[in-house]
Amino acid sequence: MKKMAFIAALFGVLALAAPAQAARVEVQWWHAMSGVLGERLNELVEKFNASQDKYTVVAVAKGNYDEVTNGVIAAYRAKRPPEMVQIAERGYMTMLLSGAVVPVQELLDQKGYKVDFSDFVKPVASFWSYKGRMSAMPFNSSTPIFWYNKDHFQKAGFDKPAATWQELEKQLYAIKAKGVSECGTVLPGDFFWSLLENYSAINNQPYGTLANGFDGLGTEFVYNKTKVVSQVARLKKWLDDGVMQIAGQGFSPEQLFTSGRCSTFVNSTASHGNIERNAKINWSATFLPHESDINPPLNSTIGGGAIWVMKGHTPERYDAVAAFLDFVAQAETQVWWHGVTGYVPATNKAYAMARERGYYKDHPTREIAVLQLSRGTPNDNSRGFRFGNFVQTMLAQRSEVEAVFTGQKQPQQAMDDAVKRGNEILRQFEKLNAGKGTEWSPEAK
Amino acid sequence: MKASAPIAPSSIWPEAPADSPSGLARSQHKSPGETAAGRRAVTERASKAWTPKRGQPDREPGLKRANFGRGVGLPTLLLLPQVLILVFFFFIPSLRALTQSVLLSDPFGTTVHFVWFDNFKALFANGEYRQSLVTTVWFTVAQNVITLAIAVVLAFATDRVVRARSVYRTLILLPYAIAPAIAGILWAFLFNPVVGPLAHMLHALGISWDPNRNPNDALWLVIMAASWKHICYDYIFLVVGLLAVPVSLMEAAAVDGAGPIRRFFLIALPMLGPTIFFLAVMNFIYGFFETFAIIDAVTHGGPAGATNILVYKVFVDGFINLDLGSSAAQSVLLMTFALICTLLQFRYFDHKVNYGV
Repeated sequence: MKKMAFIAALFGVLALAAPAQAARVEVQWWHAMSGVLGERLNELVEKFNASQDKYTVVAVAKGNYDEVTNGVIAAYRAKRPPEMVQIAERGYMTMLLSGAVVPVQELLDQKGYKVDFSDFVKPVASFWSYKGRMSAMPFNSSTPIFWYNKDHFQKAGFDKPAATWQELEKQLYAIKAKGVSECGTVLPGDFFWSLLENYSAINNQPYGTLANGFDGLGTEFVYNKTKVVSQVARLKKWLDDGVMQIAGQGFSPEQLFTSGRCSTFVNSTASHGNIERNAKINWSATFLPHESDINPPLNSTIGGGAIWVMKGHTPERYDAVAAFLDFVAQAETQVWWHGVTGYVPATNKAYAMARERGYYKDHPTREIAVLQLSRGTPNDNSRGFRFGNFVQTMLAQRSEVEAVFTGQKQPQQAMDDAVKRGNEILRQFEKLNAGKGTEWSPEAK
Repeated sequence: MKASAPIAPSSIWPEAPADSPSGLARSQHKSPGETAAGRRAVTERASKAWTPKRGQPDREPGLKRANFGRGVGLPTLLLLPQVLILVFFFFIPSLRALTQSVLLSDPFGTTVHFVWFDNFKALFANGEYRQSLVTTVWFTVAQNVITLAIAVVLAFATDRVVRARSVYRTLILLPYAIAPAIAGILWAFLFNPVVGPLAHMLHALGISWDPNRNPNDALWLVIMAASWKHICYDYIFLVVGLLAVPVSLMEAAAVDGAGPIRRFFLIALPMLGPTIFFLAVMNFIYGFFETFAIIDAVTHGGPAGATNILVYKVFVDGFINLDLGSSAAQSVLLMTFALICTLLQFRYFDHKVNYGV
């Protein structure tokens, strides 16, 4: 009996002691960063945890973006969602209209944090805001840039890659003809993002109606009537002539570039970390090419992810979330993240800070993405893409483009079919989400 | 048994009382109430009916018969874990899939419309789905035939391997221990047209191999990878099956001058009937349901949907595209196809298989 009492007392003491020890409010952040990027993200979280003594953010790697999305959906349905989750840009509409998230700007306002969202780099801000207010915290924003092997270009007698697709084509054919390299360029794994979507933005081509979906769910794809068709035909021609190669499964396009096999490579600026670590070649990078009859080219659009805040938690936890998001938005954090990963700084202030410190003198290629994103004023064609079920429409499109590469379809036919399939998917999204999103409009408050 | 023997099971034993084999089967259900003498009589009748031609006296014949003499308590208890696994990992998820297949819902489940059979109608109207169906038929049939053919040859060759037989067996069984995704990446790399050594060999032979741009190459690649992964499974069963072929029969045939190939086709293969039938069913199930990791690693269902088999489409539509209603409808249909396929196999092939080995 005494023993029992002792044990009970012990538990009592522990119960009293526990809150004192666990005074820090703990919140979870599910993310999709792996490799070098995952290590950097953990460092970021440690910095935040060390910077104050009230909150602890626990970063949980949940696999790739698709796996994180599935994880958070399952968790939300089981009523145990994490407080924060990193979702890729393509999942924007799904998250926005899910009814499962808390608008970031509203949360920060409510908790008294003054984050200057007007200072965010324009394509970043416009992508992640809805009805004028930030819906998720931009975290890892990237954009595709054009990587090239300096030695190959010099051997073929060129200074650097040309600014237009027409001139670039001549260069790539010359590189192959002169025997400098048998592979002028490699098809990016996410070519739909860099060579079709960003291509459309840069070359001022509409991708869908209603300002690429920014003005409503009734948007329809129109890229079968734009330069995208001739772009697909160009890629097909390059493949047929052996100027472009497909890395295929079991091997990544990046490896074909960093090993010195392929002379050029279109990929996200976020691969700076990897390429700096792995490339055994004399590489550099420049802007994505544009069409010769489009001058000046417009800004490119972003890819990457943002941090969404999930509904269903206690106010104390939202205190922690708001503190962390404020930390992420600070210029100092942005500059550090930009430097160690290659993602672009999300705010103009952070960019100016990196410039002042002379960061781009040592790392000139890191500035390309920022310059490419912020050149000119974004218009309806270059603000970004706001299509529902954007992953699904992209996969349908990829399959149709592959049908061109296999020779089963002509480019026009394939793009017509891709648009048709894509529009059916958009209509399904519209049917399911009609009338949603009203909670986001300022007048609803 | 003569090749021309009728196929009805009871006619295999023409001299037996008409009801005896099935009478034995029925005795399973009423055995608790029966007297020991009655049971003995049934067993005796059955074995008398069974034995004459085989020279294997008093053995319980057949793979399909079991006799629980001591009530149903113990068998139920022993079955329970399996039944529970089925309930939690099969019946409940199946019910969920069935429900989801008539719903249109957003991924987070905040909006749900009941749409009757719209998801199914949309699938049948969808050219991509029909293409996937055709691809699946090619894929599973080819995979089945290749896996069985190679496994039979390897199993039969086991006896011919004199030195290091256990090494031979281990090597063949090895792929079973490799995760499907890893197996897929191995094959994708070996046959990668840019860097793969085996692809380079094919190119050297003048074969224009490119699974990234040739749908047929891609389909062959995933068929080979899926077969390679499953040969070991078939092999184990076939080796055991071959052990059950009486040595005396083989020796007699050898004395009569039949070479190894003739002995294989005329004696071993017919006696392997039940095993091969069982494996064919298992291969279909494997091809239908367990190959999506390989597809994901080797081709992502491409190029242009050339390797987008049904189970991979279920996965992509459900977990990548987040189109849960359609994905659920597809898994219901896939399950129906698999059921029909298995039932057809039992209906048309089961009776031709001699279980009396």
